Amino acid sequence: MMPFIDYKNMVPKIVIGLLIFAIVLVPVITTNVATLSMLILSGLLAIAVMGFTLVLRTGQFSLGQSAFLAIGGYTSAILTVKLSLPFWPSFLVAGMVSGIVAMLVGMVVLRVGNIYFSIITLALSEIVRIIAQQWEPVTRGTRGLITSPPPPVVLGGFEINFAASPVPYFYLTVCLVAATGLIFWKLGESRMGRSFAGIALNPVLAEHQGIHLMKYRVIAFTVAGVFTGLAGSLYTHFLSVITPYLFGLWQSIQIMIMSIVGGISSLAGGPIIGAVLLYTLGDYLARLETYGIQPLLFGAAVMLVLIFLPKGTGLVDLWERFWRKVVWREEEYEPDTSDD
Amino acid sequence: MPPAGIWIDGLIQSCIYMTMAFGMVLVFSILGILNWAHGQFYMFGAIVVYYTITAWGIPFPISILISGLLMAGLGISVRKLVIDRVKGDLYVGVATISLIFFFEGAASMLFGMQDRGLSTVLPGVINLASFSISYQKVAVLFFTLVVLVAMYIVLNFTKVGLAIRATAQQPDAASLYGVSVGRLSLIVMGIGCGLAAMAGSIMAPVYAVNPFMGRIPMIMSLLAIVIGGIGSLTGAIAGGLMLGFLNSVIAYYLSYLSEVVLFLLVIFILLVRPQGLFGASLK
Amino acid sequence: MKRTYSIAIILVILGMVFGITLALKPAQAAEPIIIKVGSPTPLSGPAGPWGQIGIPPSQTWLDLFNKEGFKVGNKTYNFQLINVDDMNTPEGGAAAAKKLIYEDKVKFIVSHWSWNFPSVSAVANQAKVIYLCRTGNEAVPGGVYDPKKQPYTVFANPSHEQFISDIFAIAEAFPNYKRIGINDSTLGKGIGWDYVDRELDKAKIRYHHEWYPPGTQDFAPYITRYNEAGCDIIYGAGDVMAAMLITKQRWEMGFKTWRTGTSGGILDPMMYIGVSGMEASQGFMGQYFANWDFKKTKVDPKKIKRCQEVMEIVSKKQGKPYTYTAWIGWFPHHIEILTQAMQKAGTVDDPDAIMKAIRGGTFDTTIGKFTMSGAKTYGSPIVFGTPGCMSQIKGNKEVYLSEHPLTNLP
Repeated sequence: MMPFIDYKNMVPKIVIGLLIFAIVLVPVITTNVATLSMLILSGLLAIAVMGFTLVLRTGQFSLGQSAFLAIGGYTSAILTVKLSLPFWPSFLVAGMVSGIVAMLVGMVVLRVGNIYFSIITLALSEIVRIIAQQWEPVTRGTRGLITSPPPPVVLGGFEINFAASPVPYFYLTVCLVAATGLIFWKLGESRMGRSFAGIALNPVLAEHQGIHLMKYRVIAFTVAGVFTGLAGSLYTHFLSVITPYLFGLWQSIQIMIMSIVGGISSLAGGPIIGAVLLYTLGDYLARLETYGIQPLLFGAAVMLVLIFLPKGTGLVDLWERFWRKVVWREEEYEPDTSDD
Repeated sequence: MPPAGIWIDGLIQSCIYMTMAFGMVLVFSILGILNWAHGQFYMFGAIVVYYTITAWGIPFPISILISGLLMAGLGISVRKLVIDRVKGDLYVGVATISLIFFFEGAASMLFGMQDRGLSTVLPGVINLASFSISYQKVAVLFFTLVVLVAMYIVLNFTKVGLAIRATAQQPDAASLYGVSVGRLSLIVMGIGCGLAAMAGSIMAPVYAVNPFMGRIPMIMSLLAIVIGGIGSLTGAIAGGLMLGFLNSVIAYYLSYLSEVVLFLLVIFILLVRPQGLFGASLK
Repeated sequence: MKRTYSIAIILVILGMVFGITLALKPAQAAEPIIIKVGSPTPLSGPAGPWGQIGIPPSQTWLDLFNKEGFKVGNKTYNFQLINVDDMNTPEGGAAAAKKLIYEDKVKFIVSHWSWNFPSVSAVANQAKVIYLCRTGNEAVPGGVYDPKKQPYTVFANPSHEQFISDIFAIAEAFPNYKRIGINDSTLGKGIGWDYVDRELDKAKIRYHHEWYPPGTQDFAPYITRYNEAGCDIIYGAGDVMAAMLITKQRWEMGFKTWRTGTSGGILDPMMYIGVSGMEASQGFMGQYFANWDFKKTKVDPKKIKRCQEVMEIVSKKQGKPYTYTAWIGWFPHHIEILTQAMQKAGTVDDPDAIMKAIRGGTFDTTIGKFTMSGAKTYGSPIVFGTPGCMSQIKGNKEVYLSEHPLTNLP
């Protein structure tokens, strides 16, 4: 008897393993500052996108992720620049503050229905930006704050100098993205995660089963806020500057697009794919010389992807569908859905 | 009490927000989705008019009609080529957002990014007792009046209007009565986009034309819909009216803080009375 | 015998003459060494046109400059200009600066049309690359600029001081003005304005501020507020769309005697006329850098001639008259400062030595001769003054209006 090798499940895992290996090796292959910057920034955005997807898991559209990036970024910047606190504690505090704000806002705002919540969070993104702009004594308004990279860290004889090149920053980002991804994935698989999904699918039934709707919604929103805040802190320190116009409703919309295109079924892989691909696409297109072609092609690319994606999936699901349809020749089982 | 000029100014703003919001709600009630690219039709309406007037010398009123028809056609094509092919409400939303970038990019490439003006259209000012108003703005008032009356007549006294109202309330029942829902939704898309385009056309001489001029009207019509109640046509009009006046009056008293105040107001309304003034039941 | 003798002497003499001529012939000019200069500029997005319009004349001017080249020590040098789109955003600015410094390996960064002072300055100073810039709200006392942390930054076009000069020039052009209304979008709000206000107060200028959210198109509320404050001149801080709309709307609201204008060069009078209307835009004011028209500031005639040559060449290339003059105050001016500083310092490679030559040095550029000042105001004498020269639209053209000459800053 041939040993049964579970190709279907193993191959994706092997591929993921290879990808992780490749990612770790990226700085060895290229020290191109622009490329590394791009990857770092898209990685940090990926964390915000993961936050969006997590909240979406509970059935809510948070168009306010940009607000948490801003809050995290500004907290970290203010603590390090104005109060001269060291980097690592500020980083953690940024996440905490962001989470607390998310919790408070969530408790008030998550009561209302779906689309209203979206619009309120959208407005929130703008309001945070406006506050950053107007609250001059603290944030210095549009002039912004100049931040410095984390101080050199000494690990067992090696000194990691963040200022010299983006490579240490790259690894730091990878660590944070990996940590967030793992935590979110575990959360999704856990009992709480399944409660989230239950709330999204059928709130009435969920309530009947004893799941306290608001509690879980707020939890999801807060967790998203914490990690987005941490990402915001790294974002600021990498850019060396923070100004209000980095954020706002268009950034929130960008995050939403990345999540949906990447695939909302996955809490870690989808956001990463969506963020990295779309950010890279945008960056690459921005280098083209003709003006106007960048938004044009970007919009066209996203639309094409959406048109050709089968219903209800994102890019991250393509792998599994490919495996099933092409390799295993499984027939798609599609229940008879009513036309809308 | 703000001077008369501010009230008139608010009225003009309201006219545009009303027209845009009306078109947006029309599309929303039949298609079930918010067309985020609604503002882009406004922008194209202005650009079409710019070219027909400066390049071909077509008189203004005819130019407006041309742009309305053209953009209605564009709206229908967008519907068939993009929206219908994307499955799921969620994805349609993202698709219309990407349309924003697509259209802005196309317009930037065709039109260039510099502002251009149409100050030669309807020049001149009427001087009244305590304020002056330009002919261009009078045209806006006139246009809005015509549009509102026309829409009222169409919706209440024609078969098509009846069909639209029926489909908006109960698509399944309407199709049972012989309404071709598919075809109707195309017509409605055309009307909605055409309205946006004509709003852009009539406003083109008042301000300036550039590829990014659609963003703010889109956001404003969204706010107007929220205030008036999503899904309600009367709400769109009421919301647009209120928003226009609020914007001007608040800017008069608080200058740049009007931005913040408007957003806070919207949040407040959403928390306290999510269905807006005239909205249907909570979604 | 005698014949051979004479031939020999003739040959020797010829040989000597030949040899002397060879010795006197100048050594073959070595290829000039190229120094790269980077410029983060907005080339796309709404600010794109302003970034783009400066590139043809700057490049043309540089080509003319390079024909002569400049010497430091006994080597000749040329500059090479590399423009990178910074998209007028802080991230874009930081990315553009990083690309220029680490990939293109530029020696200097010049940046005139950008809001990106903080991010570009941070990157440039970290890499010890000298950065010549205009300033914005950020770089004033109490602002983001810190001479200790940013020792390689030079304010070649201090925009605050320039704005102040403009206001003075306007006040001198219209001595019976009632009040000058200043406006800017909220993007530009910040401590910088305190500095401007102090200087205006010192000179007893009457003014009134208004701020509007970026993207505003309806200025009726603001114009009404200006009216109530008693303003009859409105001068903006650089948002061209706003300036055009204010010009149009104030005319329509009946305030036809008010003058309007905005800082930043007048791109093309026809654009303003197109949006605001022929009558409304008459008298519209803008910054004017046509050094051939300067009355109070003396500029080296050679430099004037070269600028005029550039205008001709660019007009010919684009097939229609090229009228924008503001580029004269930026790129060529920055290059002249760099050139003269390197010559003074005797080196092209040592940024510290070059900066030492810049601080407090006197430079003769396309917009006049000036000594770097600002030790008290900025903490370091790294500021070039600026001729506040204003133009106005008359008919279809831009003509000289008034001037407030370069002044030394404390």
